[in-house]
Amino acid sequence: MEDAKNTIRIADRIRDVLLRLRHSRYLELARQLSHLGRELQDLTAISRKMTIALAHEWLSAAEDCCHSVDRLLSDIPYSVSRIQQFAESPQKNVPTLAALVEDLDQLEQEFGSLEFDNQRDTISVTTEPISLEDIELGPFRIQLEVSKLSELYYTNPYYVIALEPNPAATDHSVTHPHVNGERLCEGDGSATIRAALEEGRLCDFFTIVRSILNTYSPDSPYVALANWDGESCYECGYAMDSDSSCLCSFCDHSVCEECSSYCRSCEQTICIACAAKCEICEEPVCPRCARVKCTECQVVCCESCIDEGLCPDCREERKAEDEERREQVAGTEENRESSEPNTDSEQIKLAS
Amino acid sequence: MRLLFVNNDGGGFADYVDVTQGMTVEQFFDEKMPGRKAEDFLIRVNRQPVARDYVLKEGDRITVTPTKIEGAA
Repeated sequence: MEDAKNTIRIADRIRDVLLRLRHSRYLELARQLSHLGRELQDLTAISRKMTIALAHEWLSAAEDCCHSVDRLLSDIPYSVSRIQQFAESPQKNVPTLAALVEDLDQLEQEFGSLEFDNQRDTISVTTEPISLEDIELGPFRIQLEVSKLSELYYTNPYYVIALEPNPAATDHSVTHPHVNGERLCEGDGSATIRAALEEGRLCDFFTIVRSILNTYSPDSPYVALANWDGESCYECGYAMDSDSSCLCSFCDHSVCEECSSYCRSCEQTICIACAAKCEICEEPVCPRCARVKCTECQVVCCESCIDEGLCPDCREERKAEDEERREQVAGTEENRESSEPNTDSEQIKLAS
Repeated sequence: MRLLFVNNDGGGFADYVDVTQGMTVEQFFDEKMPGRKAEDFLIRVNRQPVARDYVLKEGDRITVTPTKIEGAA
């Protein structure tokens, strides 16, 4: 008896809110019309400015007007379609109290239980444990905030709460591929959910949300099921998502951004395990580029540090040696010149 | 005879439809949801599950809700 009284009380509360929702539809339409009116006024103002700018041949000002027009014209179609949505949809009849009571009874049958929280003004049902592609996501509570129903046109009145969460490894707020931060991304169910709530068909609303939770849409999840448990970095074990993983060109292992680098010679991606080091500048090089060594001292050199097969130190040494050799050669030639007889002056001496 | 048909597939409209006397719920489904399989839907008449050969009556309320609906991100 108490349960029946409670159900009637809740149904009456829902009916009140749905009546306010009907009123808020007109309020929202008025608000959207006002917004469109302001946008059209802005267009008129720009038109006047454009006329003045052209009269004075202020072409730069005219160009600014064009940008403003372009911006406004991209917003106006959205405003128009919103208004059309409200204006053309027929007025929804608010269900009778008896119909709402029947709906709540049906809801309890469909889900096995129904919770009313008088303090929070919520109606909740719990789904069976959800499993998608062998990943257990646990049961979810679908919690409708009754007072927020009247704000349906600008706020989402329900939450989807994981009761035994098994969230994505890379984002703990994603408890289901289509649930983030306890908010469901409705996808194909968006219009149907809106219609069900507008018409007070609460059982339909909850069953539609349940249907979305039982479906995996691989084209547009928050986190794909394939990456649900994350991929571990081969080096440090960090759970990374596919966007932040790097593939080493040599060992083909996936590593995180911290454990990856790139060869300064050939720019290939390498993991820190495969990376060798240029012994001159200490920058990483891949195993293939690490085979490049100074022909003199055999140190590993990157492309920037090696020149004509020599590392900078050996190059300096070679230069010094070449310099020394040149000086020696120059010195020898001088000596030879000074020790050779000066035949011209001796002939003159002999002659005198 | 006139029935209320609540189609929660797509737009989610609820509307009155006219059907021939003696039509079963299975026949109704096949006519209104051509090419679809009944097992992919939750079908309720007057808020109750019914057998496929249930014969529809004047004023019945039929609800059809897909069991799989794709969400997004």
